[in-house]
Amino acid sequence: MQAQLSLPARRGRDFTTLFWVAIAVVLVILILNPIFYLFKESFTAQGDAGGWTLMNYVEAFSNPLYYSPIVATLWISLSVGVISLVVGAALAWCVSRTDIPMASMIRNLILASFVTPPFLGAIAWIFLAGPREGWLNDIYRFVAFAGGESYLFNIFSLGGVVFAISLYTFPLVFIVVMAALNNVSSDIEDAANIAGGGTFSTMLNITLPLVLPALFAGFIMAVLEAMILFGTPAILAIPARMHVMTTQLRAFMASEDNLVGLASAYSMPMLVVAVWLIYSRGRVLGKRGFATLGGKGGQRRPQKLGAWRYPVFVLCLIPLVCAVMLPYISLLLTSFMRTLGGGLTWGNMTFANYVFMWNNDAVWSSLGNTLVLAVVSATAAAGLAGVIAYISQRRIVWGHQYMSFLATLPIAIPGIVLAVGLFAAYTKKPFVLYGTLWIMFFAYLTKYLPLAFQTSNAALMSVHPELEECSRILGANRIRVFRDVTIPLFKVGLVASWILVFMPSLRELSASVLLWTTNTKVISVVIIDLYEENLLGPISALGVVLLLITLVAILAGFRLAGRDFMKA
Amino acid sequence: MALTRFLVLLAAAALFAASPASAAEDALLRAAKKEGKVTWYTAVSLPVAQEICKKFMGKHPGVECIVHRDGSGKLYQRYLQEDKGNIHVADVYHTSNYGHYLILKDKHLLPYQPKGTEKFNASFVTKHHAWTILRAAVLVPFYNTKKVSAADAPKSWKDLADPKWKDRMVHSHPAYSGFVTNGMLLNIKNHGQDYYKKLAANKPKIVQSALASIPLVARGEADVGAGTVSYGLFEAISKGEPLKVVIPTEGVPLVSSPNAILKKAPHPNAAKLFTDYMFSLEAQQVFANRFLYVGHPGVKYPKGLPTLDELKLEVIDPEVIKKENKNMQNLFRKLFGV
Repeated sequence: MQAQLSLPARRGRDFTTLFWVAIAVVLVILILNPIFYLFKESFTAQGDAGGWTLMNYVEAFSNPLYYSPIVATLWISLSVGVISLVVGAALAWCVSRTDIPMASMIRNLILASFVTPPFLGAIAWIFLAGPREGWLNDIYRFVAFAGGESYLFNIFSLGGVVFAISLYTFPLVFIVVMAALNNVSSDIEDAANIAGGGTFSTMLNITLPLVLPALFAGFIMAVLEAMILFGTPAILAIPARMHVMTTQLRAFMASEDNLVGLASAYSMPMLVVAVWLIYSRGRVLGKRGFATLGGKGGQRRPQKLGAWRYPVFVLCLIPLVCAVMLPYISLLLTSFMRTLGGGLTWGNMTFANYVFMWNNDAVWSSLGNTLVLAVVSATAAAGLAGVIAYISQRRIVWGHQYMSFLATLPIAIPGIVLAVGLFAAYTKKPFVLYGTLWIMFFAYLTKYLPLAFQTSNAALMSVHPELEECSRILGANRIRVFRDVTIPLFKVGLVASWILVFMPSLRELSASVLLWTTNTKVISVVIIDLYEENLLGPISALGVVLLLITLVAILAGFRLAGRDFMKA
Repeated sequence: MALTRFLVLLAAAALFAASPASAAEDALLRAAKKEGKVTWYTAVSLPVAQEICKKFMGKHPGVECIVHRDGSGKLYQRYLQEDKGNIHVADVYHTSNYGHYLILKDKHLLPYQPKGTEKFNASFVTKHHAWTILRAAVLVPFYNTKKVSAADAPKSWKDLADPKWKDRMVHSHPAYSGFVTNGMLLNIKNHGQDYYKKLAANKPKIVQSALASIPLVARGEADVGAGTVSYGLFEAISKGEPLKVVIPTEGVPLVSSPNAILKKAPHPNAAKLFTDYMFSLEAQQVFANRFLYVGHPGVKYPKGLPTLDELKLEVIDPEVIKKENKNMQNLFRKLFGV
């Protein structure tokens, strides 16, 4: 039905096709260039001689040493996916659809968790849940009169890794589901209520199916994000003597022979999994798009939680306490500690860590680089993603079905591996970008385009083509329709996708760590640098300052974006 | 007396100024200023690198000194990657992985003898001048004084294999720390591979860099560290962390960190000027203040740092390191799982 309506009626005569084709070409170059080099590397023999070989694949998948990281990664990604889905969707529903108290505070805390570099959270959780000296375990031993060596939490474990990744991944699901929920008008829910459905059965039977595409998209994003994450497992799994795929990749590349080919081959299962997930999503949801945003006005009204209001509020707070409050409290305390071994005493208090950061030129210049990159990448990604979503849903150019696929593909390429492809692609003519912010911009754009695309796509799915067809019938061309009708209708989706790229860009590590040069250092690289130099005090100070800066930015963003964006 | 000394100095200066060496120096300075900057790929910790650069720029205004700090492994990887892409950024290259220098020697390093190094401690200079040792340190075990009494503390590398340290130890990774590779070679020479089997049975926490083991022990998350770099440890102790160094009876591996000028340096003259500066007394003292050992005979070491004569030093042949590097990493992977 939808398909028929959206077929362009006058394809041959629409001169704006040129614009859409141009966008399609940009996308193909952007995505396929690094992936092409990745494939090429995976078939290239190690050493100066080079040459075609299959040995990388043989070595990567015949050596039993490399099996356990694959199993660990599988477990971690699926667990993180499920946890993030449940937590993120539940929070989105509570904030968007119910009269939960302090909804805007919950939303801001979720965004705060989203801008927190996961590895910073992981470091903070060592302070909190290290089995022997974690503060939470100290409290447990005190309360339970437990012996000196017993503990409640051990962050250096598979469970600990899943926990620490989930804390900073569920916001992905939250934002995607939130954007979708905001497009569902309350009329439909009212109808269910009138027909006798209670709050929760309405949610389960009406709201849930309506946002199913967003849920699925969010789940996939969370799974893939957990799969390609490097910092958290490096900090929490390695001490527990476990490798995951990304730390194994790093080990390949850090090894004496710089085994880029082996690393490329070893990363192929991730690409395959991503392709499969994206494909299956299309199969599952192919016939289940619900256009809920039509030309008729709809409004949203919160569901009444009644007696459940406060219990639900407390439940919602738990993930936020774990993701934001506890870690930042522990960072704040650590940032004032003169020595790590001195503990929390007045004698051990100092401002030296803040002074160190304040006087460090590298911090300031990298802060500037980070902000510029985040703003530019977010703007470019949101724009490109919006157009691609439009092209692929309205089936404007030949091959549109491959475009949504292409735009989603990079989500499965670990940042470290993507950086290898980017390096190979952009150090040769005609694109010599190494040493400039441009190569980092391309890295961020490529890496986060899927996030923006998923959001735009989910949002656009709920915009019925009927309004566009109206304007087309009245004689407007496609670009005009897109600009004057479609964009205003899915503005919320666009803003959401902007934020969705902006925030992780602030914390991007795995690609930056390979691509940075002296003048293009970013803040996450500075933090890892300090971590390797054993300067935990200054890291904590920097973490606290970063949180303050981004919180101010978020609040300012809400002022600017206006009431439409994620209004609680 | 003071006047005499002044006159002597003046005379010396005059003599020096008239010598042809000085003309060459002037030419070097002029050429360096024309190039305008020098980029230093360095593995020494950021505060030290920044201090060296700042002092250098104070001495030679007009030559900008750019620090690019990273770990030894990553700098090597970056340099090779850039070279493969025919991009040349680095002028001077300084890491702690001696094996890499052997690989780079003929194709990538420019032989250059820094000014004044003729008088250096012989173990800090090379005959081929492809590199000169900028600084050295030793790998030592250590423990948390709040958790472990002096009587209970390990006295040797061998003591670390005692089952009493089960779940109480932290160990760094040989793929990230050249120091750890040196330690492994020494311990295997003394105690055989069996030593590492026993160590693995103690289930130590594994961290990447040698320095990264310090905060875990300082906080008490682990009681003993199975080896870290001396300068990081002494710096932490001087800040007041409750840590103590173990001088093991078997001796300690001395790890030397070379410094070299790259053949394809985009600023070769500035690179030479900067290298000369790094081996001057002023710069060498900066390293010494940070508990690093240097070759300059004139530096004064901070209190608490044992002199190299007081330690039983074990120097592992770089050729052996180059040959065994991968084997050590594979052995570690097999025994410790990462």
